[in-house]
Amino acid sequence: MGALIQLRGLVKVYARGGETLRVLDGLDLDLEAGGFYALMGPSGSGKTTLLNLVGGLDRADEGRIVVDGEDIAAMTGPELAEWRAEKVGFVFQGFNLIPVLTAQENVELPLLLTRLSRGQRKEHAKSALELVGLGDRRSHRPSQLSGGPEQRVAIARALVSDPMLVLADEPTGDLDRKSADDVLALLRLLNEKYGKTILMVTHDHAAAQQARTIVHLDKGGRLGRIEAVR
Amino acid sequence: MPPFQLVWRNLTKRKARFLLTAGSLAIAIFLLCLLRSLVVALEAGVKAAAADRLIVQSKVSLFVYLPQAYGTKIAAVEGVERVMRWNWFGGYYQDQGNFFAQFACDQDELQAIYPEIQLVDGSWDDFQRDRKACIVGEATASKYGFKVGDSVPIIGALFPKTDGTTWDFRVAGIYKSTKKNVDDATLFFHYKYLENALDSGEGSGPVGVGIFVVKMSPGADRTEVMSRIDAMFEQGPQVVQTTTEAEFQAQFVSMIGNVPLFVSSIGGGVMVAILLAALNTMLMAAREQTRDIGVLKALGFGDGVVAGVLLWQSLALCAFGGGAGILLAASTEDSVARMLGTVFPGYEVTAGTLWSAAGATLLVGLVAGVGPALRARGLSVIDALRRTG
Repeated sequence: MGALIQLRGLVKVYARGGETLRVLDGLDLDLEAGGFYALMGPSGSGKTTLLNLVGGLDRADEGRIVVDGEDIAAMTGPELAEWRAEKVGFVFQGFNLIPVLTAQENVELPLLLTRLSRGQRKEHAKSALELVGLGDRRSHRPSQLSGGPEQRVAIARALVSDPMLVLADEPTGDLDRKSADDVLALLRLLNEKYGKTILMVTHDHAAAQQARTIVHLDKGGRLGRIEAVR
Repeated sequence: MPPFQLVWRNLTKRKARFLLTAGSLAIAIFLLCLLRSLVVALEAGVKAAAADRLIVQSKVSLFVYLPQAYGTKIAAVEGVERVMRWNWFGGYYQDQGNFFAQFACDQDELQAIYPEIQLVDGSWDDFQRDRKACIVGEATASKYGFKVGDSVPIIGALFPKTDGTTWDFRVAGIYKSTKKNVDDATLFFHYKYLENALDSGEGSGPVGVGIFVVKMSPGADRTEVMSRIDAMFEQGPQVVQTTTEAEFQAQFVSMIGNVPLFVSSIGGGVMVAILLAALNTMLMAAREQTRDIGVLKALGFGDGVVAGVLLWQSLALCAFGGGAGILLAASTEDSVARMLGTVFPGYEVTAGTLWSAAGATLLVGLVAGVGPALRARGLSVIDALRRTG
């Protein structure tokens, strides 16, 4: 398969308290479609920043980000929002479920941006929750779920609109080993069975071993080595 | 459009805060309706004033009485059809708390000059025949349980009886006014009863006529008639001022101060208070929902939709509170009118008042919601997700 994501000369600089911090410094990287990438590196190497840039949550100061042939750095805010809704699913470390909505309603949220009918939305969300093993907990609120199930709801939300790319930022960071393994198994399932391209930021070597490729970033946002795992 | 399920759930997430804010909005909007209705009641008399009636009063003051002889002279003025003497009596029933207006007037002119006074019980003939007869508005009759044939003892404050007894009137009729310039709370009795009592020394008080009420001939020019009457008494002994009934009513209202300005000031204060309450609630809500805003944006919801989540919360909050206040004002109209009774006759919560209250509610909702909504709109996804609320 060809490169789904092409990053060229990517620079991101943060200004904090009169000082500038160069988080990414001219990064070039190609990520293949259907890949499962673990992004690793020391603190300050720009892992999460890179994930945010690829997901269109943040803007690069320099460089190009081409995803599936589209230069997302050139998109306007509304175009980028539309693009995210269609192409990207997010899984966050802190789950980031909406606390006042049930699991079913949280998973239905991205579908509100589609043309699906109310009945279709419910059916899709139900299927997604069943896929992550939470078909019987659809009416639970996030506060009624523990960390593992919460993250699985977040994964169901990320996949429900059938995005081509799933971006996961430390998805197992807040979980115990057993729950972490369940979440990683789910991500592998998405990659292997459903062909989703996954880019996962992690500090956890065991988690990174579940990916097919580990991309190491060095301090200062430069590309280190790329390691094939499986 | 924002996901309304999310709007509603966020709104009711903290039930105590929601109920307290909505409750304060309800009370404030109810107060606004009440204040506006008082102004409407005061101004109703001015708006409903008859075009063919004039009031002749002393140019010095309403409290300076005119000579009795002026009546005959006014009646002779070209364009004048009828003239009636009219005196404020200022008494009370049993004790000073039982206040309602009483007027002494020429009983044989009252029906012709004020056709809006319609008897719903009793008869005009009975009223005109008996010197001690009176007619009473149905609001007062209902409040004190007066019926036709009942005796109504009134203690004279401005015109006390010299032997300390009461003025005794017999109810000959109960009336209802078809127009708002005459309320349903007044007691009208024979001018001659008052005049004879003063002449005989049975009663005491200012001598003379408070005002003359003039009914103009059909087609008479109002300005000319007013000028003729004023010109006739230019040399005294009392200089008069003739006004339209509307001007007279307006002057009467202004005697208790600039009521609309006063009420508007209170209303403005109430508006600011509820705006601050709603704004405070919305700012707290927006702060709590910062991370949710980031999540929505990350999922692909546009800035406008995300802003709409907060704006609709504000509008819904105000709609609940304001709506409850409007319902309260409309449903308690009769009770409040009864409570204000004869002291403030004509209390009515008009459709205009309710629409004004709805407009104020909408305005508060918009102003309280627009700040948090704009903040949510401008927040970057990264910043929003970073906040812990």
